[in-house]
Amino acid sequence: MSVVNYGTREITCKIVYYGPGRSGKTTNLQHVYSQLPEERKGKMVSLATETDRTLFFDFLPLDLGTISGFATRFQLYTVPGQVYYAATRRLVLQGVDGVVFVADSQSRQLAENIESLQDLHANLADEGFDPRTLPLVMQYNKRDLPAAEISTVQELDETLNFRSVPYFAANAINGGGVFETLRSIASMVLGRLSAPASKGS
Amino acid sequence: MVTGGGVKKGAEDDSGEFAEFMADISHEIAKRVESLDPTPKGTPAVKKQATPVPDAGVIREWDNVADRMIEEMG
Repeated sequence: MSVVNYGTREITCKIVYYGPGRSGKTTNLQHVYSQLPEERKGKMVSLATETDRTLFFDFLPLDLGTISGFATRFQLYTVPGQVYYAATRRLVLQGVDGVVFVADSQSRQLAENIESLQDLHANLADEGFDPRTLPLVMQYNKRDLPAAEISTVQELDETLNFRSVPYFAANAINGGGVFETLRSIASMVLGRLSAPASKGS
Repeated sequence: MVTGGGVKKGAEDDSGEFAEFMADISHEIAKRVESLDPTPKGTPAVKKQATPVPDAGVIREWDNVADRMIEEMG
């Protein structure tokens, strides 16, 4: 868990975008990156295949500068959604402070969403996190697709959001809902920042 | 490794999105930092007592000059 480090005057939070393959996790980070002012634009690191699928993970360091006297950094990661990259997903989850679950709204992807959510909970438990309390936000992506192809937000929420956490409809490819989602998870993570004396990273 | 590859620039001018995000986050952080600050607040700084300097011309042993006068008169 992140701490407010009063010694080094630093706050660092790690947020992981999780979800099935091709749900739009990388697209979320790309939109955030595209909106950064030049002076804050570090390097977004992606390792993708020729077909642009995330092979390992994406990493976007978000240096927010000095806020209230603290150098503040958000580290945004994505995991590869494909089932066979389970070890990588566990690795990326280490030290996570908050998770955005990016669900694919397409009706035919519902089973993949459920499988990925179960995978998230299993991996969090393996890494020593309590999946019931870790900050989590749901994002129902691809709302720009034809209505006939996608589940309603209500259907998705009833199926996936059993923790009743905040959820957002999004079409990340156009930027819709991306910052709303990020703002929500960032707020939840900051709300759990612990005091310096607490055990934490 | 591809660095910064495939990053789409915003087609429309959404540059305000990040500014709004920063404003909200700054507010959250300010609240959080203040609530967790280990530095005690509201405790008045302890004033260092002035060290008495021995000086025959300065009355320091009595609470007030009247007490001293009464004692000397007596």
